Amino acid sequence: MPSRGSQPEDGAALSSADNSTPHKEDLSSKIKEQKIVVDELSNLKKNRKVYRQQQNSNIFFLADRTEMLSESKNILDELKKEYQEIENSEKTKIKK
Amino acid sequence: MQRKPRGVVTNCQEKIQHWKKVDNDYNALQERLSTLPDKLSYNIMVPFGPFAFMPGKLVHTNEVTVLLGDNWFAKCSAKQAVGLVEHRKEHVRKTIDDLKKVIKNFESRVEFTEDLQKMSDAAGDIVDIREEIKSDFEFKAKHRIAHKPHSKPKTSDIFEADFANDVKSKDLLADKELWARLEELERQEELLGELDSKPDTMIANGEDTSSEEEKEDQNINVHVMHQVTDSVHSSSCYKDVTHSELFNGQVNSQLNCSMIGSNSYHSNEDEEEEEEEDDDDDDDDDGDNENDVLGVGDHSVPTIYFSHTVEPKRVRINTGKNTTLKFSEKKEEAKRKRKNSSGSGHSAQELPTIRTPADIYRVFVDVVNGEYVPRKSILKSRSRENSVCSDTSESSAADFDDRRGVLRSISCEEATCSDTSESILEEEQEENHHKKLLPLSGTPEAFSGTVIEKEFLSPSLTPHPTMVHPVLPTIPERKEVLSEISEETTKRVSKFKAARLQQKN
Repeated sequence: MPSRGSQPEDGAALSSADNSTPHKEDLSSKIKEQKIVVDELSNLKKNRKVYRQQQNSNIFFLADRTEMLSESKNILDELKKEYQEIENSEKTKIKK
Repeated sequence: MQRKPRGVVTNCQEKIQHWKKVDNDYNALQERLSTLPDKLSYNIMVPFGPFAFMPGKLVHTNEVTVLLGDNWFAKCSAKQAVGLVEHRKEHVRKTIDDLKKVIKNFESRVEFTEDLQKMSDAAGDIVDIREEIKSDFEFKAKHRIAHKPHSKPKTSDIFEADFANDVKSKDLLADKELWARLEELERQEELLGELDSKPDTMIANGEDTSSEEEKEDQNINVHVMHQVTDSVHSSSCYKDVTHSELFNGQVNSQLNCSMIGSNSYHSNEDEEEEEEEDDDDDDDDDGDNENDVLGVGDHSVPTIYFSHTVEPKRVRINTGKNTTLKFSEKKEEAKRKRKNSSGSGHSAQELPTIRTPADIYRVFVDVVNGEYVPRKSILKSRSRENSVCSDTSESSAADFDDRRGVLRSISCEEATCSDTSESILEEEQEENHHKKLLPLSGTPEAFSGTVIEKEFLSPSLTPHPTMVHPVLPTIPERKEVLSEISEETTKRVSKFKAARLQQKN
């Protein structure tokens, strides 16, 4: 792959996404971020390199684009599930 | 009541968040380290400064340099690094657990306060007991509250009244406060003693400076200031003098006393002041709670009523190093003597019960007949000769009475010089009611810390304009401190001599 690639840190999937916050707002913002990531990754040309940032530091490791894309998609799905669950629980509470 | 636990809880929660993040980071790091040696080299983006990157390779993937703290590093393999990370994670987990425990504890407190509030709201018979918390704790230099601005020489009556009015204040006084007050009172005494014939004005000024310390004082000070207008200069002096909080405290208390005449205090303030004093008295029940109101002859200015209970006060005995010893006996003895009557002679002292080392000294010194010269072995400094324990307060006693007015007058200069001594003197003075005048008033002694036990032995004390000789042996304190002031030293010597002479007589 050509070494020059847009590597944008945008392309790097954040590996430290915190999915555990139950709050709806946090979840919604995270979901938005994840959506952006997925879109960006899917929008990359084949020759682009994707780097992933090492947590808490400024080092970026080369990562596989396809892998990253699938990973990000998974994360997005999970976040959405959580969001749905919270919504459902809230609805049930309201009903009660 | 709820705010603090809640604050603690939120604080702990924030910390927990932080530590969880740290734990997360370590986990990621561990993951990375475990896979790092898998490849010989990695293609990475190498950071160039904070904003730029360069494509590069990561080589020597198994060599990791670990920061051990304090800029020490250790080079180890990836697996060893993993072990280190694991160890750190353990520490982080422990911290998180502790924080969780703290949160749990405080949450229960918060719940309790909430329940309490509910209960109090619901049930009418549950009364909220409140005590005014005087900010005594905050600084030692609590101003000594004048016994009562309106008080007469015998403050006991007033105290009672105060009690009735403000019961709560009494409860408040804790030992700490009492001690702090005592100290302040002592200082004030000293201050008073040093003051010359302008006790009121000076005091008022002093209070002004000290008022900063306490709000109450401020109120009082304001009053005082109004009354004393001519003593502007004195205030400045006081400022110098009252650079120390303690001193200020003293001044305040003194001033408070003086305010008695002015009656400009708010009743509340007075009460508070009185109460505080009452508390002191109450607490000092051991000793004779004699409140001597120091009446200053100069009535044009607010008279200073100085009252203090005989309580064990810390007497700083200059033993070469600044050591403070407590001596309560002296005061008690002084009181006794005083009660006996002026001139009855100090010797009448009952065998002083030795409770503190200071007492021993005192006794020791007294034993030495002739001149009450502290034995050298006891107190190394010779300068203390007169002062240590053996300041024949007897002679001074008489003088004190005469000089009370004079002594009480606050002389800025002197006061400044002998801040420390004043405090000590105060103690003594407090003990000896008659000693209203701080012996220091006249004598800008080099050692302000002289503990003067005044024994009213003979009223014929040669009036020492500079210093009032404490009846009881005085232990000069920190002469070094005051040594700077040459005047004082010279005066001091003379004073002591005079005292001695008096005693002989």
